[in-house]
Amino acid sequence: MANGRTWILRAAAAAVALAAGGCARAEPHVLTFSGSLVGREGDVIRRQLDRFREANPSIDIALRATPDAANLRHQLYVQWLNARASDPDVLQLDVVWTPEFAAAGWIAGLDRFEPPVDQFFAAAVDADRWNGSLYALPWFVDVGMLYWRTDLAPRAPRDLDELAQLARRAQEEEGVPFGFVWQGARYEGLVTVFLEYLGALGGAILDDRGRVVVDSTAAVRALTYMRDAIDIDGIVPPAVLTWQEEQTRFAFQNGQAAFMRNWPYAYALLQDPSQSKVAGRFAVAAMPAGPDGAATAALGGSALAVNAYSEQPEVAYRLIDYLLQPEQMIERARIAGEFPTRPALYETRALADALTIPLADALKVIERAVPRPITPVYSQLSEILQIALHRALTRQQEPRAALTEAAAGMRALLAKVKLGPLASTP
Amino acid sequence: MKNARTPPGSGASWLREEARLGWALALPALATIALVAVFPILWTFWESLHLHDLRMPWLGRPFVGAANYAEAFGDPRFRSALGHTGVFMTAAVTLELGAGLLVALALDRVSRGRGMVRTAVLLPWAIPTVVAALIWRFMFESPAGLASAALVRLGAAPPTWFADALAAWIPLVLADVWKTTPFVALLLLAGLQNIDKALYEAADVDGAGRWRQFTAITLPLLRPALLVAFLFRALDAFRVFDVVYVMTGGGPGTATEPVALYTFSTLLQNLRFGFGSALSVIVFVVAFFFALASIRVLGRGAFLDGPA
Repeated sequence: MANGRTWILRAAAAAVALAAGGCARAEPHVLTFSGSLVGREGDVIRRQLDRFREANPSIDIALRATPDAANLRHQLYVQWLNARASDPDVLQLDVVWTPEFAAAGWIAGLDRFEPPVDQFFAAAVDADRWNGSLYALPWFVDVGMLYWRTDLAPRAPRDLDELAQLARRAQEEEGVPFGFVWQGARYEGLVTVFLEYLGALGGAILDDRGRVVVDSTAAVRALTYMRDAIDIDGIVPPAVLTWQEEQTRFAFQNGQAAFMRNWPYAYALLQDPSQSKVAGRFAVAAMPAGPDGAATAALGGSALAVNAYSEQPEVAYRLIDYLLQPEQMIERARIAGEFPTRPALYETRALADALTIPLADALKVIERAVPRPITPVYSQLSEILQIALHRALTRQQEPRAALTEAAAGMRALLAKVKLGPLASTP
Repeated sequence: MKNARTPPGSGASWLREEARLGWALALPALATIALVAVFPILWTFWESLHLHDLRMPWLGRPFVGAANYAEAFGDPRFRSALGHTGVFMTAAVTLELGAGLLVALALDRVSRGRGMVRTAVLLPWAIPTVVAALIWRFMFESPAGLASAALVRLGAAPPTWFADALAAWIPLVLADVWKTTPFVALLLLAGLQNIDKALYEAADVDGAGRWRQFTAITLPLLRPALLVAFLFRALDAFRVFDVVYVMTGGGPGTATEPVALYTFSTLLQNLRFGFGSALSVIVFVVAFFFALASIRVLGRGAFLDGPA
């Protein structure tokens, strides 16, 4: 029964803490890394850690497998760090977790290592700061992009209305079942899609001072635009309301959709003729702007941080520094298709050869990248927003009512959490 | 008796010793129950009186009294989760008892290949719930899925099941009914086979028709079995989690989110231990009193009808 869970959780956390403590004592020089270890990402990290080991024979490294699903990894990290486990020493964090972990005191400040922050994308570094201090370094960036079919549209749409027109024309004249597909299930992906519409129509979730503005007219218009694309224009199929990234990719690669919003990972898969019917017949661009806004790409990706309870933070930082070297980033781009966080690399031949996606196209989207709200309570805000968005899109609530309710919930939450800069919210 | 009444005598101390021995023998069992049942419940209750959010350690773990309970009762998401649980219980249990009764009556008639038929009927019950729920999700999820395709063939426009706040209940309830009807049927079959066949013969002699026999003999004598089945199913349905978690995740929005799922996401996903514990305690109290009431009704029913 549910009431037993707290106990089980605490026991598990305690067991992890004990195990971790025991390990650390028994093998003082083992540095532990935890992050995404499956598939191609696992291949890259294993190779790179092997090389690091060869270069630093005194350091032994162990991998700590964590669940691949972001929310499950987050949950596990929170349990470990609450139990003050010193292991893993190095953590792969989703870009939106850094402020939360920093505010909780779970990850160590990195300023004392004087990292070369100006060598990384400024937007990505901003997302790794909390209260003026740096707590993580950006490892790779993800950006939401518009995939479009070069055989169905003459060019990438210049604004949202043109996107709708081209999508409808592909449906009517070319018999493509879906005009446009995006991730509409109730999960984090929906928030990133909304963020792009929001930027396109000139809205935001929080303003510069951290105040909730997700109930603004622009935001209501953005959500209404998304809903009407399904219900009125008929260019987006209602099925997207249960779709995540992979379902949209399947629809696009089977030639069922003229446009798709997705992350860069899809590019290499769509170019693979053994599974894709649209290989060589698509391109990418930034999601287009609407009337009062700018083209916006949701910023995702991962950062690397040092566990605040680590017994060897210097060694941990050395590993992070190694993983962030240009050579490692290019290898990661080649094997896992993930974008480096160093702008300088985008002018190199090496990166152009490593990525399947044309460098100029990638850079154009990265330039439009906008981070999600940088706050320790992002996960909670996101959950409130996910529910409101999904309610409006499934017609349980009008967009204005849904966003008004969400904004009230977010304000109540922010008032409750008593955070320095956010507490100044009137 | 005489011994027991004799004052300070050896008999009384013998009894006391006997009682002490009894307690001593029961102690390991009592300790186990205390450790695995009572202690966690008390701890959860204690936890529910605190503000304890694992993701906001800077707030500490202050004692907040009944604040979490106040928040729960003022929380529209929790109230609607209670409502969803009620809807699910009512729909699923009614259908399961109805379908289970029909299956049990049919099984009771089968004379040849009885073992085979019963095994076949029990199959859905043997499939793990998560697997069964996934199968049902696939049937309803895509426009090309079995359910939607069948509707199209019949000339109807299928809804996008899991994106429709009302339609989403249909696959949920159907999956649960499909999965647990065999269990109900088996319980009722046992009840049917306990009924003395001579009663039906006597009714035949008296000229009572089939329907009359069903309402006057079968149903009343099946009451204990029906009550047991109802109690089991209702309590299970109250705690429904896996079917919903796999099929809709509580969506669209939170339109199909039952209490157990909300508690799960509060406690284990959002790691709000204080508030989540308060939700758990509320669920526990409701389930406890429901079980208590059912057992009393059941007990009375069993004693009245059992020896018939």
